[in-house]
Amino acid sequence: MIEIKGLKKNYMLGETTVLALRGIDFNVSEGEFISVVGPSGSGKTTLLNIIGCVDFATEGEVKIGGVNLSGLNDKEITDLRLNKIGFIFQTFNLIPVLNVIENVEFPLLLMKKFTAAEVRKRAEKLIEEVGLKEFIAHRPAELSGGQRQRVAIARALVTNPDIVLADEPTANLDSVTGASILELMKEMNQIEKTTFVFSTHDANVLKYAQKVIKIKDGKIVDGE
Amino acid sequence: MGLIFKIAWRNIFRHKGKSFVIGTILFLGALFMTLGNGVISGMDRGLTKNIIEGFTGHIVIISDKQETDNVLFTLMGKPIEAIGNFIEIKKVLNKEDYIDKYLPVGRNLAMLLNEEGGSPGNGFLLGVDFAKYRAMFPDNIKPVEGTIPEKNEKGVILPSFARKEFYGYTNIWFVPTGGKLIEENFKKETKEKEEPVGIKVKDSMVVMGFNDKNTTMDVRVNVRAVVRYNTLNTIFGHFALIDIESYREAFGYFSAESKASEISEDKKKLLDMGNENLDMLFSENTLMTENKSNGKADVKFTPAVKQEKSEVVDVDTGAYNLVFIKLKKGISIDDALLKMNKDLKSANLGVRAVSWKKAFGLIGSMSTVIKGALFLFVMLLFVVAVIIIVNTLSMAAIERTPEIGMMRAVGARKSFISNMFLAETGMLSFVFGGAGVIVGIITVNLLPLFKITSENDMVQLLFGGDMFYPVLSMSDIMLSFLQLAIVTFAAVIYPIKVAKSITPLDAIVRD
Ligand SMILES: Nc1ncnc2c1ncn2[C@@H]1O[C@H](COP(=O)(O)OP(=O)(O)OP(=O)(O)O)[C@@H](O)[C@H]1O
Ligand SMILES: [Mg+2]
Repeated sequence: MIEIKGLKKNYMLGETTVLALRGIDFNVSEGEFISVVGPSGSGKTTLLNIIGCVDFATEGEVKIGGVNLSGLNDKEITDLRLNKIGFIFQTFNLIPVLNVIENVEFPLLLMKKFTAAEVRKRAEKLIEEVGLKEFIAHRPAELSGGQRQRVAIARALVTNPDIVLADEPTANLDSVTGASILELMKEMNQIEKTTFVFSTHDANVLKYAQKVIKIKDGKIVDGE
Repeated sequence: MGLIFKIAWRNIFRHKGKSFVIGTILFLGALFMTLGNGVISGMDRGLTKNIIEGFTGHIVIISDKQETDNVLFTLMGKPIEAIGNFIEIKKVLNKEDYIDKYLPVGRNLAMLLNEEGGSPGNGFLLGVDFAKYRAMFPDNIKPVEGTIPEKNEKGVILPSFARKEFYGYTNIWFVPTGGKLIEENFKKETKEKEEPVGIKVKDSMVVMGFNDKNTTMDVRVNVRAVVRYNTLNTIFGHFALIDIESYREAFGYFSAESKASEISEDKKKLLDMGNENLDMLFSENTLMTENKSNGKADVKFTPAVKQEKSEVVDVDTGAYNLVFIKLKKGISIDDALLKMNKDLKSANLGVRAVSWKKAFGLIGSMSTVIKGALFLFVMLLFVVAVIIIVNTLSMAAIERTPEIGMMRAVGARKSFISNMFLAETGMLSFVFGGAGVIVGIITVNLLPLFKITSENDMVQLLFGGDMFYPVLSMSDIMLSFLQLAIVTFAAVIYPIKVAKSITPLDAIVRD
């Protein structure tokens, strides 16, 4: 599902070059539930961004479902994000002018594959699953951080993507909410065989993972 | 598509301040553009109507010897070539079935001699057969003093504007024969507050054609009436109407009377000599003063032989300068010109037909200047509006980076983002700009009710007549909407570029 070979990422900060990733190799198979852990600044977000096609490798090869990302143009990359990947950001951006259900429907509508009724049904189902049924008509500004995070999760899952990437999905949540969200993700993983890759530095979260990839200073220190 | 409009529509309300700024600009821009279009259109329509119906008709025939087509408002001293074969021209015109009426006229600059010994004045003379003139332009003038002659009689019909001008030159106040100075008119026309004391009042004037060969004569004519042109008095009023025979005499042209007596010279020779004389430029002031010091022009060449009693002669056998032509309703000026010029050419008459616009030269080009100025004003508005909107929208795009970047991350294509911006600005433009156009249309239709008038030449030109009467045709309204659409598109291009360049990473990296 995900094949990464010799992945390097450099950031230019003025005169100095920050080596965020210094050569990463690993593969993820379909249906895996993987956690990326490491201290702050180790490169977790950078790695997920590259897998999620919102950032690009400086060196090395990344393949998603057998397709090499470096050969794609903007439109192809965008459609890949839309159809194959669900991304839950560390900061949960929602569209301010759309309410909960409209935010969740957004990627489905972009796909133009379903009728309005189908879209509505899928979105309602996921909102129910993330426990926001009674907030369906609320705008993001009227939600708490945890509720917004759950909307973002519903939005990432609604298209039934092959891969869901989540960058510290529980960092802004209390332990109870965090746990319930991880439960939800686990359930999805088991029912839909969706591949999950999430980053964390929370030890509590780790226990859900099938496999843990530890990184430090942009390198894998211990692959399990 | 529905999604884009939903987001765009809600964004308008979410960012009320920005929407209001852009909306106001679009409203004002559309309003002023519509008003501008209305003024330009009204000017065009007014000038066309007033000049065609009240002064020249649609088409003017001029001599081929005339270098430029501009024959009405020429600069001082450039004489208009004579047309000696109107009898022949008439034969051609009578066969053109699209012509409604025509009127041959003499037109040149004349000197107004000052019998009191002061400096002379000058003014344009329009030599006409009064009866035929009234038939051609039945209600373009109304009398202020005296009565307008209905038959072809000798004398001059003086527009109030020309009376004021002559008064300015010579300090003589002209009144119709047997009339007296009417204080009320004097004050109104001259805008002087004081009582008219010590002013010379005369009921006849001595005019002399302008040319440097001294082939002209001074002719005394009675003032028959003082009139006002119904519209554009300050422009048309430069022209005093004089009976055609006195006109010919003043300019040393062969007249119908002299033609009738036909002493020794033949028509052809006379015409050529006349034209040769008129070819010369007469613009030097020194010549004018010279003439004045003589008190009277030397008459070395006088083809016009005065007769005590005129036989019944065809006035058209004499010389003219121009022929004014009115076309029948619904005839295109361009088509008529084409046909007429073909026929005139094949008859080999040495004349050509030009449009009223060309004949009106200076006024025509001044209206073009005014039009250009208005157009520039509208363009300036255009540019200012675009700049402000570009600025506001670009800022809005940058402010919405998290939102836009996230949409891109979730799978929205660049085209989705640009359509969103286009929809948002388009809706604002449709509502506010549309309101601007509508308010503009209403204003244009209300303005004539205020009966705004002006005595100023330039302002009258802008009005296309005495009264401010802007109009909007269907195509003007379409033009306003087109301009609005162009402004909208021009204003949205750069902000869209900014918004499209926002990447998902920009949204994530932000906080
Ligand atoms: N846009 C950027 N420009 C410059 N340097 C960057 C940029 N993004 C990340 N870095 C650097 O790359 C390294 C890895 O950053 P990254 O955000 O991937 O770490 P992380 O493991 O996600 O940390 P955290 O746990 O705090 O989220 C850091 O040293 C960071 O400073
Ligand atoms: Mg991070």
